[in-house]
Amino acid sequence: MSDNILNFSLADFFFNDSPSVLNPPSDFEEWMGHPAVQRGFSFYEQELLEAPRVSTRIRSNLDGKERRIINLTSYNYLGLSTHPEVIQAAKDALDKYGLGSSGAPLLSGTLDIHVELAQKLAEFKKKEDCLLFSSGLGANVGTIQGLLRKGDYMVVDEKIHKSIIDGGTLSGAKMLFFDHNSMDSLQMMLEKTKGKRTLVAVEGVYSMDGDLPRLPEILDLCDEYGAGSYVDEAHSTLMFGANGRGVAEHFGVEDRVGISFGTLSKSFGGVGGFVCGSKPIIRYLKGYASPWNFSCAPSPAVSGGLLKALEIATRDSSLRDKLWKNVTYLKNGLNRLGLDMGESESQVIPIIIGADGAKLMRFAAAMQTRGLFLQPVDFPAVPAHARRFRISVSSQLTQAEMDETLNIIEDVIVKGKE
Amino acid sequence: MTKTEVIEVIKRIIEENLDDVSIDDIDPQKSMKDYGANSLDMIEVVSCSMRELNIKVPRAELAEIHNIDSLADKFMEYMGS
Repeated sequence: MSDNILNFSLADFFFNDSPSVLNPPSDFEEWMGHPAVQRGFSFYEQELLEAPRVSTRIRSNLDGKERRIINLTSYNYLGLSTHPEVIQAAKDALDKYGLGSSGAPLLSGTLDIHVELAQKLAEFKKKEDCLLFSSGLGANVGTIQGLLRKGDYMVVDEKIHKSIIDGGTLSGAKMLFFDHNSMDSLQMMLEKTKGKRTLVAVEGVYSMDGDLPRLPEILDLCDEYGAGSYVDEAHSTLMFGANGRGVAEHFGVEDRVGISFGTLSKSFGGVGGFVCGSKPIIRYLKGYASPWNFSCAPSPAVSGGLLKALEIATRDSSLRDKLWKNVTYLKNGLNRLGLDMGESESQVIPIIIGADGAKLMRFAAAMQTRGLFLQPVDFPAVPAHARRFRISVSSQLTQAEMDETLNIIEDVIVKGKE
Repeated sequence: MTKTEVIEVIKRIIEENLDDVSIDDIDPQKSMKDYGANSLDMIEVVSCSMRELNIKVPRAELAEIHNIDSLADKFMEYMGS
């Protein structure tokens, strides 16, 4: 391995041949200990020293220095995590209920503030009921695990989030992956599962590419083959649609979506996840979605803040409007620089660098030194030939910050000033 | 080990990991996808094959491989290295 150590990635150490389950693979330590690999990992787990606003400070792992940066990596799309009204609402809930819920929802963890938040989310998503989870990942894992059984099928876009795959694995259902956004491929898979209980799962905005699903056509195929539909609106809720209800609203197909999933950590600015659907299926899930019924209910302080975040984001469209204005400004600037943004149609904008992982890391270091916090996304999170940076646009960005961002990107990525 | 033997190892592991596939029906010019493998199945087959052949090929080098024959070629590059 020593002669091609940089060709290896975390994907190569998943299977562990060590005699003891408490030891990693023997060559994993050798790989992790290599200076070039350590340099790559130094971009991760860098400490933020202030709130995850667009303008924040980090302690850079590159040189140990504290640095003020423009943060385009946090998914605080609408800036709600630090909105003064949200913070006040969270403080009020903290004063009233304390820090934790002290119980699983089924037994003692359900507080009136959770019921209120779930009701408001169900009304917002125009569904009969809603189940609230302490984690977004847990909501996907738990719901899929709760819906499917051995002998069932789950047909998913090949770019679907890991949490849905993990839920499928846990459920015992057979998983089939269709080519990204290819209706021919989806139909081919649905032909294979014809007559079997089948769930089709797609994302509202694909998190590494920023493109949208062809939702109306996907739902047509679900109807034709009698499959259930599941739409993960983690990166689209509060942003897409005239009222922010997500891509299902954007495409005018809300009533056709079986289960609508959302996170509370992205545009909402808190933490947690939720699924909305019919009353009977939500009631059923309460019995079988382990991350709901075996996990402590969400922190009431967070739930209080989230209620306010939902109110702010839906009382008018000002935050969404600002976000889309910023997205247009940045995309126009990146276009002028001739950068490859893939098929992005959203506030998630990839800058695809290519196969050269070492170059990706050099660019990341140079941009960070210049004050731009833009994290590299490497294989296996994205294909080896399409390593990239991923911009998460926020409504908080000012024009001056966007201009500075474009200057740094031009100098480092376009002109190669490393 | 010859390339034919490497292909036989891969075919056997495909049979062990996929439903309704017989070793005699597997054509090395085809992809595992043609036999109903999803991406998780493919990772399992590749990992089990490498373990049996006592080689370690970086995943990043496997991205452009589209059939069983090319996978065997890639494995052969690492055999005895």
